[in-house]
Amino acid sequence: MLMRCYRMVWLAVMIVLVTAPARLARADEWKPVSPDDLKMTSLPEAPGAPAVYLYRQVDRNDASRASSEYNYVRIKILTEEGRKHANIEIPFIRGKISVSNIRARLIRPDGSSVPFDGKVYESTIEKSKTQKVLAKTFTVPDVQVGSIIDYHFNYDFEDMHIFDSYWLLSDDLFTKHGEFTLKPYTNEGWTVQWNWPAGLPKGTDPPKEGADGIIRMTSNNIPAFVTEDYMPPEDELKFRVVFVYFDSFPERDPQKFWKSFGKKQADRAESFVSKKKGLEEVVAQTVSPNDPPEVKLKKIYIRTQQIRNLSYEPQKSEQEEKRDKQKIASSAEELLKLGYGDGYYITWAFLGLARAAGFEAYPCLVSARNLYFFNPQRINKSELNSNVVLVKLNGKDTYYDPGTKFAPFGLLPWYESGVTGLKLDKEGGTWITTTLPPSSDSQIDRTADLKITPEGDLSGKLKLSFTGLEALSRRMTERLEDEAARKKYLEDLVKNYIPAGIELDLTNKPDWNASETPLTAEFDLKVPGWVSSAGKRALLPAALFGATEKHLFEHADRTWPVYFDYPFKKVDDLTVELPLGWQIGDLPKETDTDAKAAEYSMKVEKQNGKLHIQRVVRCDLMMVGKEQYPILRNFFANVRTNDDQQIVLQPGTGSASN
Amino acid sequence: MKSTLAILTLLGAAVVGAVFIPGAKADAPAWMHAAATAPLPAHDEKTDAVLLYAEDVTTVQPNGKIKNFRRRAYKILRPDGKRFGFVFAYFDSETKINAMHAWSIPASGKDYEVKEKDAIVSAPPDIENGELASDFKMKYIRIPASEPGNVVGYEVEQEGRPYVFETDWNPQQTVPVAEARFTLQLPPGWEYRGVWVNHADVQPKISGNNFEWDLRDLPAIKYEEDMPPWRGVAARMAVALFPPSSDGKSSKGFETWRDMGIWYADLTKGRRDPSPEIKQKVSQLTNASQSPIEKMHMLADFMQSDIRYVGIWLGIGGFQPHSATEVFAHRYGDCKDKATLLSSMLHEIGIESYYVLINVERGDVTKDMPPQKHFNHAILAVKLPKDVNDPSLLATLNHPTLGKILFFDPTDESTPFGQLRGALQANFGLLVGPDGGELLELPQQPAYTSSISRSGKFTLSANGNLVGDVMEVRQGDRARVERHALLTVDKESDKIKPIESLLAHSLSSFQITKASVTNLKKNDLAFGLNYSLVADSYAKRAGNLLIVRPRTIGSKGSSVLETKEPRKYPLEFEGPARDTDKFEIALPAGYEVDDLPPPVDLDYSFASYHSKTEKNGDTLLYTRTFEIKELSVPVSKMEELKKMYRAIAGDERNTAVLKPKS
Repeated sequence: MLMRCYRMVWLAVMIVLVTAPARLARADEWKPVSPDDLKMTSLPEAPGAPAVYLYRQVDRNDASRASSEYNYVRIKILTEEGRKHANIEIPFIRGKISVSNIRARLIRPDGSSVPFDGKVYESTIEKSKTQKVLAKTFTVPDVQVGSIIDYHFNYDFEDMHIFDSYWLLSDDLFTKHGEFTLKPYTNEGWTVQWNWPAGLPKGTDPPKEGADGIIRMTSNNIPAFVTEDYMPPEDELKFRVVFVYFDSFPERDPQKFWKSFGKKQADRAESFVSKKKGLEEVVAQTVSPNDPPEVKLKKIYIRTQQIRNLSYEPQKSEQEEKRDKQKIASSAEELLKLGYGDGYYITWAFLGLARAAGFEAYPCLVSARNLYFFNPQRINKSELNSNVVLVKLNGKDTYYDPGTKFAPFGLLPWYESGVTGLKLDKEGGTWITTTLPPSSDSQIDRTADLKITPEGDLSGKLKLSFTGLEALSRRMTERLEDEAARKKYLEDLVKNYIPAGIELDLTNKPDWNASETPLTAEFDLKVPGWVSSAGKRALLPAALFGATEKHLFEHADRTWPVYFDYPFKKVDDLTVELPLGWQIGDLPKETDTDAKAAEYSMKVEKQNGKLHIQRVVRCDLMMVGKEQYPILRNFFANVRTNDDQQIVLQPGTGSASN
Repeated sequence: MKSTLAILTLLGAAVVGAVFIPGAKADAPAWMHAAATAPLPAHDEKTDAVLLYAEDVTTVQPNGKIKNFRRRAYKILRPDGKRFGFVFAYFDSETKINAMHAWSIPASGKDYEVKEKDAIVSAPPDIENGELASDFKMKYIRIPASEPGNVVGYEVEQEGRPYVFETDWNPQQTVPVAEARFTLQLPPGWEYRGVWVNHADVQPKISGNNFEWDLRDLPAIKYEEDMPPWRGVAARMAVALFPPSSDGKSSKGFETWRDMGIWYADLTKGRRDPSPEIKQKVSQLTNASQSPIEKMHMLADFMQSDIRYVGIWLGIGGFQPHSATEVFAHRYGDCKDKATLLSSMLHEIGIESYYVLINVERGDVTKDMPPQKHFNHAILAVKLPKDVNDPSLLATLNHPTLGKILFFDPTDESTPFGQLRGALQANFGLLVGPDGGELLELPQQPAYTSSISRSGKFTLSANGNLVGDVMEVRQGDRARVERHALLTVDKESDKIKPIESLLAHSLSSFQITKASVTNLKKNDLAFGLNYSLVADSYAKRAGNLLIVRPRTIGSKGSSVLETKEPRKYPLEFEGPARDTDKFEIALPAGYEVDDLPPPVDLDYSFASYHSKTEKNGDTLLYTRTFEIKELSVPVSKMEELKKMYRAIAGDERNTAVLKPKS
């Protein structure tokens, strides 16, 4: 075979290159500059932009012995801040890709142009035994507001290789006009397919292959890419066209493609669990014949999670791995004998054990939603990048991933929940959607028994409890830490909940290694000066733990949908005892905003001479569209407003002081 | 802001050389095994690792080359201590790494060894954005089995010819040190001078031209928020080296700051010579009718707005500026380049100016320190004409020989001519004057030069909604930060976001109905931020009462001292400041004030805070003043500062109670 496809290795490289700000190189002639572009002081489509791409051109040629890519970029500088775009950086990998024919020029606002004759530097970004990532850098001198910078260059790729290719349309700057071409490699049966996972900019027609075999696309007014809190994964949002090479004629019908893929994957999974004897022995040791099905399955699940999970151990050096000589199990039976394995295969071992216990169980490949959202129409098998097991339990489809450390029985890690997957079988499989747990399954409970001191301090005991995905994520985060670090982690969490300086001491030993039990931490807590004074009265803020919601969605403008990893619920229950002689005065009105998607409630009542404060914040939303953003923002503004309510207290002989 | 000089400073510290012991066998060397069995130095449960043994050997060769040899052995105690399994060394075209070798001794099992061939070369991770090119690189190794309970160690040998014969020995670290040893090996005729900083003087053992220092059981320096910079607190010995006087070497250690100034003057000789284009530009920017101050303003403004900051430093380029001609032609340069060009232009209008080398972290260089090139920034001292007595020129001092000089940072795009940003005030810089160098303390400006003066007039409705207008006038650093936030947004609609973020700190729910800024790009004038807002349910109901917080917007408190462990180091403020708030809230009809929060009056030597809530007819009036007077708060006054921050937090939460009129 003449050509070798190094797709996996080069994918990361290409992402680096394509996402780089520089767009570069061939022609020895410059595009004409229009008087309008010279006069331009701003662009209505990109108000306030420091600079814009007036023009970008990417011409990729894979049809030759070595691929090459010509890039042409024209930048208009619109503000003082935009002058930083005169610094150009073109990354490349020594030995694999070279950069040639870098040329640049400055066009002054009066139309006169100055060729760039300065030095192009070469900077090392990273170099190892196997790879050296460098960058060609230069800065165009005398760039002022109103200037236009033109530059172009060539990427020349290694001989005798082809790579998957991208046209990355979204960039930090707005693009007024872009032209993109690809001349694909088509010899020896190679074909290319393309897709645009995040769609295309408004008004852009999809890429089309011309009679000359060149794939072309033009696009206008490509918005600058912005990042925001709680946004969906960037890869899901950035406009890009992805080209994938196949060394045989690819199956273009998604249904047929996934059927064929499913069959192969089913064979692999079934082969892994085909040796049943050892599995049956383990099941016999684990469950009792009289166990109800759910108990039986849970015992098997817990047994599976006890296998040493190599996926969550500290990364080892090459030397350590060599010395460890850890065997990779070829079957679930062997994995159980070895007592260790990667999380992926531990999940398949659970499949084998569940079946050995008589359950109807299926291997499933799913697409984790932390990087992008799966779309089978894209025909990209690498997007089915994780595995779970479907078990029919009491007539229902239930999903399990014991290969994820700390995942409680019946809960998948958030990125595998509510996602599309392929249930594998001999026929190729069927599409499934994994369960998205309700907010009640992932809860933060804060229960406190507190006293107010005559000085206005608040102090007492706090119990903090995490369940479901809340516990899983924290156990996962801290899995490699020691006791002192975990203590600090928990104390920092509480500090982030309370909008004041506090004194805090962890008093128990939370169980960091369990999956099934809540993660519970207990503290001695003191909030100095929490009660404020107002003449003859003292005032106690109703919400103690409202700091997390303080700055949520503070900006009125929103570009992207809001994306929460998973539904969540926070339940606060505080009992507050007053100093001797103090009286409870007026209480805030009870608030209860309980909609299906989200809930906030605050209730303050007198109870045996003490204050009893209950607060609930619940969110069963995962994705909130941009149009609905004002409603969501108002919801959290309402949370803050009600959190700020004050409880009026009447001190006895004196008043609280802070 | 750039720190172009920092890299060479680091390099100077890393230039090492001598005694490398090639370890061909896989076992860790005997010195490491010996260290591994030694008792651990005193430490607590939060200690990530302990440095069992540190050895530095600096060998000066007769030709002036210096070899530095570094040897370390750490016992990792906690997961965060794994970072000590990452060994690195900086190098550039003039400093090479001769050898790099690392080992680990696991608590159980055989030792591991890593050789230089396994090292990775990369750009240093701490280079800030803005540099276009540098030949400064980092080589690193990851040691296997860098896990708690294990001992890791390494040897690195470097060789180079320094621009200046000086080095530092830094025995105190962020972890406890059991033993630290430093050996200085000099060729015949060479001398050294060692000056201890943050530690009592220690005499070496002397054997011929070998000098050896040995320290044991050094406590860790643990990070504290807003603490002084590392070199301001860590025990270290500054070492200056002197070749034989007959040697004729121009580069030698600095005996005095004057020497260092002479060195820098020599390095920059001719760099400020103007080209015809520079002269023409000066003529164009200034005219005969302008006063010298007006001319200086014009040139400073040109430098701040037209010459971009871009760093290119190769070799000596970390210290030596490009020529003014080159910087002018390119319209870009780093801090010393910008200082060079401005100096050249000032000369053309008859104003002399001098480089001032400074470290942007106040406390890194102090008056008691020996002369060393621990500077990472360059600004100018401008000699003012005798008849200039402009009150807007605040960053001035009267120099005994130069007369009145004004300090100005041409790299700082947002601080007006005549002032300095807080970090440079009361900081020590090396003035490179006509007679050599001189370390002097830059002036501290009055607190009012960095200020927020905020006034708001609001109307409160009976349902608790607040409507009103706010005017903010910002000066100095307070203006600089806000200007930067607004100037660096990428789209018009984002200009509201800094104001939204400001309000979100104080208001749970709000809508900005109008906003405008004044003098955004006019550094010489006060920056204004005016906005109108509606805050629903600002006042809370409790029975028939309305509870309202008089402090409407802005926060002065800090939780920096809310830590369990007692403070060990002083707390540093960035600069002096004086902020005032005045909020008037017109009460809803039918309501009157029933209870007011108490006033707060705190006055300490380092800062003061005064707040008051008053009833003024049907209006609630809140006023406060917060002033930072001293830039460093010593540990002895930390409880006072903590008390002040808690009082501020309480005052900011305090509320007034309104009741229906009877």
